[in-house]
Amino acid sequence: MNLITSLTKIKTRITSVRRVYRNTESILGILLVMPLLIWLLGTILYPLLSAIRLSFLDVGIIGTGGRFVGLENYKYALLSPEFWSSLGRSILWVLGNGVIQTVIAFIAALILRQPFRGRSFARIWIILSWIVPTVVVVIIWRWMLGTSGGIINYLLVTLNIVPSPVGFFGSPGTAFISVVLINSWRWFPLMTVILLAGMLVIPEELYEAAKVDGASSWQRFKNITIPALQPITFVLGLVGTLWSINVFDVIWLLTGGGPGSATTTLPVLIYHTAFKGYRLSRASAISVIFGLILLGFIWMYLRFLGRSQEEKE
Amino acid sequence: MKLLLWHMEQPPHRVQRYQELIDQFNAANPDIVVTQEVQNWAEIYTKAPAAVAAGNHPDLLFTIPDFTPVIKELGVVQPVDDIVAELDQKYKFYPSVIGPYTYEGHIWTIPNWNVVHSLWYRKSAFEKAGIKPPTSWDEWLKAVEVLTQANQYGIGLPANRHLYTDQTTYDLMINNGAEEFFDANGNLRFNNTQTVEAFEFYQQLYKYSPPDSPNWTWGEAEACLNSGTCAMILQFAVITTYDKEVGDPNDLGVSSIPHSSNVNKSGTIAYPCGIMILTSDPAKKEAAYRFIRFLYEPGNYGRFVTSEPGLFLPVTEMGAKDNSFWSDPLITKYREQVEGMLKNSENGMLFGFTGGRVFPEVAKISAQNLIAQTLQKMLLEKMSAKEAVEWGQKAMEEAIR
Repeated sequence: MNLITSLTKIKTRITSVRRVYRNTESILGILLVMPLLIWLLGTILYPLLSAIRLSFLDVGIIGTGGRFVGLENYKYALLSPEFWSSLGRSILWVLGNGVIQTVIAFIAALILRQPFRGRSFARIWIILSWIVPTVVVVIIWRWMLGTSGGIINYLLVTLNIVPSPVGFFGSPGTAFISVVLINSWRWFPLMTVILLAGMLVIPEELYEAAKVDGASSWQRFKNITIPALQPITFVLGLVGTLWSINVFDVIWLLTGGGPGSATTTLPVLIYHTAFKGYRLSRASAISVIFGLILLGFIWMYLRFLGRSQEEKE
Repeated sequence: MKLLLWHMEQPPHRVQRYQELIDQFNAANPDIVVTQEVQNWAEIYTKAPAAVAAGNHPDLLFTIPDFTPVIKELGVVQPVDDIVAELDQKYKFYPSVIGPYTYEGHIWTIPNWNVVHSLWYRKSAFEKAGIKPPTSWDEWLKAVEVLTQANQYGIGLPANRHLYTDQTTYDLMINNGAEEFFDANGNLRFNNTQTVEAFEFYQQLYKYSPPDSPNWTWGEAEACLNSGTCAMILQFAVITTYDKEVGDPNDLGVSSIPHSSNVNKSGTIAYPCGIMILTSDPAKKEAAYRFIRFLYEPGNYGRFVTSEPGLFLPVTEMGAKDNSFWSDPLITKYREQVEGMLKNSENGMLFGFTGGRVFPEVAKISAQNLIAQTLQKMLLEKMSAKEAVEWGQKAMEEAIR
């Protein structure tokens, strides 16, 4: 009887020690995560809440006070033609960049997957345009596309392709296309590397078997490469859209949103409203609306594309 | 005692010159340590208010007339009437440089130098075409027509949403009698016949400008003149880059900006730049005054102004005679051009700060480049000059509301 009692006590004791250990483990885990949580709260949540608060005030210049104006800034933003045209440009911007970067990145990844002399060098070299600082990219392209001594205009005129130098940033249509192309040039290497990494883990046997069955290159690409890369392209579609729509530096440095408002996307409009127009609260309201649009996009993307992805798998 | 100076003069030679002066001051004043931090004009409108809000703003901050009101609104700019009066007694400020900083009963900035627009041109292009530099608008239009040839544009004019475009447009407004932005009662009067005419004339000149000029800032215009692609441009100064890229002072012409028949003399946009004192600590303020006095001393002032030779011009009568200004090698080489710029500065003005009246709210107009945006409505969105100016009036009213 005593033995049973003792054993029960020991068992209870062990359970208690385990519980304490588990609790200690949990506490330790929380403690380890805490610095990061505090950092995120300070750098993301606080500015976010601050922006939401500002959007209900009428603050002009940063650092000055403002009174509560309710939904006035939201009303102004949603009734402003500038907001809707900038949103339209942002969508065009994402689509333009998405299509161009995807096509170029796929081509580049397929080439880099093939065995050829200097392949290792090419795989490293292709990253160059992505690692170069944005301001350098902008200076290079502005210089190359300039009408006073720019190499591209020089070649176009010398080869009689155009009669006189082209002002690439001079008209609304060409400026938008030029900025999209320059941004795509900058970002496609990252997509290339990710796609290439995905391609390299596709078993070679699949291609060999398909070849034996008489599949053409296009059929192999369509029926093996693309389906195998779907998980990667799914993530790239989501992350790439969010990255792309938030691009500000390239546009601002190249055109400042002009000529006119031809390259004014929502991030440029927000900056311009806050720091050029001294309407910090109005800019905050646009930011909040922009954030909600992005959240809506993420929700739709995960719901519809995520579901179709699961069905295929 | 530590004093922090923020300025937006980024080129290394300017920073180096200030450091030389600061080192000299610090050595002579062991109780004060002045340090400089370089900012840039594109960010300072955001950064300085943020620094004020965070309580870590500098003690001294470089400024231009339409930047001072932005910082003054935050309540940290100190009146400097006493030091300005003291320096004026010794060195005699040109009245036009004090006016833009005088309002609400005080002077808010100590002017340090002036920058003015001039018409810069390549003499060889004019000689080749057999014409003289224009003085009237009719001559100007004919000149740009004649000078536009293969591989050469008659003029380089910007159309960017940028301060440079504000400035070139205002040059034409001044030279058609549309320099006053506000009437005596403080009402905005941008929409008037003279402004519309100035915009129409800009449009005519612009036809002879390079196709990428809608994206230009100051640098592209200079490059265009220096490469010989543009026969003339409106610019503060081109001497430094011209000397590096071309180097022949005999081919660089400078003249006043041609005027229309509505006015009887040429005018130009001018920015009397200055220093604001942001510290309210009396001891620090006195230390800042000592530093300012040091900068204005003969011998030092010329070196201070020639931190960018051929761009910055003296703001005092004594400063304009200072040997340390005229003995700078670049000023010596381009003396004729610098004398031309000084002559042009005699009739310099700035929107919102004309006619002896000051309207600090103009800062909100210039910060958004609303003059340039109005011009873009005409040049890029094909509005008529009248429609564009009407749009500009409404946009400006909204900005200052």
